[in-house]
Amino acid sequence: MTTTDRTTRPPLQARLRLLLSQLVSEPSYVIGAVLALALAYLVLAPMAAVLGSAVQMTRMDAVRAGASPGDLTFSYFQRVFTSPVAQDIFWTPLGNTMTVALFATALAVLFGLVLAMLVTSTNIWGRSILGFLLIIPYMLPSQALATAWITVFKNRRTGGSPGMLEALGLTPPDWLAYGPLPIVICLALSYFPFAFLLFSNALNKIDTQLEEAAVTLGARPHIVWRRILLPLLIPTTMSVLLLTVARTLGTFATPYVLGTPVGYTLLSTSLYSSLRSGAPGVAAVLAIVLGLFGVAMLLLDIWMVRNWQRFITVGGKGGKREPARLTLLARFPASAVAWGVFLIAAFGPLLVMFLSTIMREPGVFALSNFSLGYWTGGDGRPGVFNSPEILLSLYNSLSIAGSAAVICGVLGLAVGYAVVRLPGSWLSGFLRQVSFLPYLMPGMAFAAAFLTLFAVPRGPVPALYGSITLLILVMVVTYLPYASRSGISAMMQVGREPEEAGMVLGAGFFARITRILGPLQKTALVTAIILPFISGMKELSLVVMLVTPGTELLTTQSLRFLDYGHTQLANATILIIGVVVMLLVLLMQKVTKSSLAGGLGG
Amino acid sequence: MPNITLNSVVKTYGGKSLAVDNLTTTFPSGEFICLLGPSGCGKTTTLRMIAGLERPDSGEIRFGDEVFYSSQTGTYLRPEKRKLGLMFQSYALWPHMTVEQNVVFGLAMKRMPREDQAKRFTELAKLFHLDGLGQRYPRELSGGQQQRVALARMLAVSPDLLLLDEPLSNLDASLRLEMRAELKRLHQTLGCTVIFVTHDQLEAMTMATSIAVMNKGRIEQMAKPMDIYRHPSSHFVANFVGSPPMNMLTPGEAPGLASEMTKILGTPADRAGTVGIRPEALRLTGQPANGGLKATIDTIQPTGADWIIGLQAEGRQLFALSSEPPPADIGAEVGLNLKADGIHAFDQNGKAVGPSL
Ligand SMILES: Nc1ncnc2c1ncn2[C@@H]1O[C@H](COP(=O)(O)OP(=O)(O)OP(=O)(O)O)[C@@H](O)[C@H]1O
Ligand SMILES: [Mg+2]
Repeated sequence: MTTTDRTTRPPLQARLRLLLSQLVSEPSYVIGAVLALALAYLVLAPMAAVLGSAVQMTRMDAVRAGASPGDLTFSYFQRVFTSPVAQDIFWTPLGNTMTVALFATALAVLFGLVLAMLVTSTNIWGRSILGFLLIIPYMLPSQALATAWITVFKNRRTGGSPGMLEALGLTPPDWLAYGPLPIVICLALSYFPFAFLLFSNALNKIDTQLEEAAVTLGARPHIVWRRILLPLLIPTTMSVLLLTVARTLGTFATPYVLGTPVGYTLLSTSLYSSLRSGAPGVAAVLAIVLGLFGVAMLLLDIWMVRNWQRFITVGGKGGKREPARLTLLARFPASAVAWGVFLIAAFGPLLVMFLSTIMREPGVFALSNFSLGYWTGGDGRPGVFNSPEILLSLYNSLSIAGSAAVICGVLGLAVGYAVVRLPGSWLSGFLRQVSFLPYLMPGMAFAAAFLTLFAVPRGPVPALYGSITLLILVMVVTYLPYASRSGISAMMQVGREPEEAGMVLGAGFFARITRILGPLQKTALVTAIILPFISGMKELSLVVMLVTPGTELLTTQSLRFLDYGHTQLANATILIIGVVVMLLVLLMQKVTKSSLAGGLGG
Repeated sequence: MPNITLNSVVKTYGGKSLAVDNLTTTFPSGEFICLLGPSGCGKTTTLRMIAGLERPDSGEIRFGDEVFYSSQTGTYLRPEKRKLGLMFQSYALWPHMTVEQNVVFGLAMKRMPREDQAKRFTELAKLFHLDGLGQRYPRELSGGQQQRVALARMLAVSPDLLLLDEPLSNLDASLRLEMRAELKRLHQTLGCTVIFVTHDQLEAMTMATSIAVMNKGRIEQMAKPMDIYRHPSSHFVANFVGSPPMNMLTPGEAPGLASEMTKILGTPADRAGTVGIRPEALRLTGQPANGGLKATIDTIQPTGADWIIGLQAEGRQLFALSSEPPPADIGAEVGLNLKADGIHAFDQNGKAVGPSL
């Protein structure tokens, strides 16, 4: 029985006039609607397409089965789940994926937590520089560690230049060179920086007064940790777990490099080989399974955000945590752990990769064996600096990841604008959700979906397979969650008032964007561009199925080199990516005067 | 100058939470009107609808003959066409513009020539003591200076109507006193209508020429400050205005006090759902008179000029406000005298009932 019922309904014409004036004076409706349509197409249509191709006959299978292409069929599902080859295509990879994800996640989260505790809360030697050094593995593409591993442990099972140990006359056994053990180790070492960043961030945000209150009540440090700090870290732990699991589920490079030689397949590599061997229907079914994992993660995430909200402490006013003074006896091993992880996860692999590129023969440490040949050319081969393949892929990586990042950044801010300007409307909720959907989606699943959608012309959209546009599009959609997250938080922080103050004083939409919002959001825009740029430079699983000879990126190029046994060139390519990413990180820190941790935020 | 008229204005958020509930009122021209009410009662929403930043679901808002908004004819006048000045609680100064750029922004939007803008800034800088601060950025200013920049920015375009949303709540106590005086003076010199939102009843009492007390999206009473204080039209208004608040009792709780109060007031006892007495109308006497009202002193809070005395009477906590020191110490029993002009009675629905009603 609200008052609205009592007032007479205004005439249609009046309502139309009001609607029109609203659309004109508040362009966020139009912006929001356009964004919502575009996103719905780019996010939801690929998913629909992949569902479709899982239940429709391909042309080849149709000819074989005497049906017509596009006929409804469940043969692909049967093939994946119940046929004689199901064990190889699906069940074994599923088990492997679970095993690897479980162990790698557990290790990564454990490393991350322990290191975050050490770095933020104790006086280990070099704690401030460690804060940066320990995130270096994050700046390397995901195949870096695997490639470094191969560089050292590769044995005679695979061709090409031998591994360092093999060259020294020690043949590493298969279980050490390939398979689950190295995969788990490499994944844990490449994903722990996330956990480390998020835990450090959370620890720094916890109001120190909460601990001080416990200390004044007589709690010893280990009690403070057990009863106060660790429980407060539960929400962070949950989201770190989710994020890491989601990443390991979709990871491609490490199992491809370290698993394929011994036939140890994960879902992602199985999906890749199905596609390469011309079985798109099977690939679609596998992509759906991976996608379902993604959806499950997303639902869990939403559920957790809702349920753990009460744990989030508001208005931390306390100062910076005073690092615990460890006794010399404890300080030494604690520092050794932190530096040890750095040596194994970052310094060692980089050194190994770099060494391999300046040695003619692996493992021979004679001065005459050192040469810059792999970089500058010589010995009858082109070097990195004059290899057309590498230069082309460098150009592709920079231009594709760069354009995707700029588009992403602008879209992210636009999403933020629409979401903040239209609070409570369904449009704002829809934008928020849809732009977030790709967040926990395994890259392989998404790529398969995109491939299905754009392999053939659909309506006005031409076939995009093999085009740069497709790569840019898929990157934009996948990285949008990061950009729109920073866009939304930046717009929230600025709020509506600066713009409204301009509105009252006669500034139209254009003037408000150029003179008020634009200048206010400069740094946010830089963050929203650089973060996707970094991800794009490192991306592999998303693009590995989409690149074609003209559109190779640095990451896929390094994989090709590995396939042909050119370990040194693969390493050089990865080092180039590392350098570019590090430059981007430094640029971001300079512009935003903040660390990576703030921008990643989950 | 024209009046502001609101006619059956309804505003909901998200289709359900009712922020402004069928509001009909007139804010007379030239007045300093305070919208006073507790948090969430719809003050800001009302102000923003007048400014044109928020659209009513239905109803009409007019400024004299000019229709700002009407759901019946489908009229919506954009904020910049309403010739008003708006000041936010956060001031919303643009951090990337200097003080001068902030102040002349509205003039630049009107494409006023640069020399004229500069001239106008000099004028305003003198008026608001901002000389020499033109090239500073807002974060380089004190809270009081930021406040004056916001005022100058609002006034630069010579608006006909000023809307202020809790502009003093971020200031410390002494600065707040100073700014209250300044705003009051400004209103007297400019003579334009001011609508000022606050939840601080002292601010409203001291500044307004007219107070509109809001509750749950409606205006409960609109009157001159002293009339609001002396003749609250409802339980809610009586309780909200005044500090310490009016002592409220139901006849069931404290029959002795309540019947004495209805007797003094001349209201039929059965009509009064609640009776209330202002703290300053509770007079303490040294010795309880025979058969008279009495109470025990509970707490004594000197404020400097006055004493706030906590009392226990018939099991109820009461507060008295007195400019004299209390006649006895904590724990002592004292007599109570009730002053007639501080006593009020309200019916079951919270409406005020007087002797003649
Ligand atoms: N953008 C919004 N979306 C949803 N509900 C809102 C929004 N703005 C205000 N409300 C609700 O409308 C009601 C009135 O809000 P309003 O901001 O006008 O209150 P107020 O009187 O200014 O309060 P305060 O003194 O706290 O500023 C409140 O219940 C509030 O929760
Ligand atoms: Mg308000």
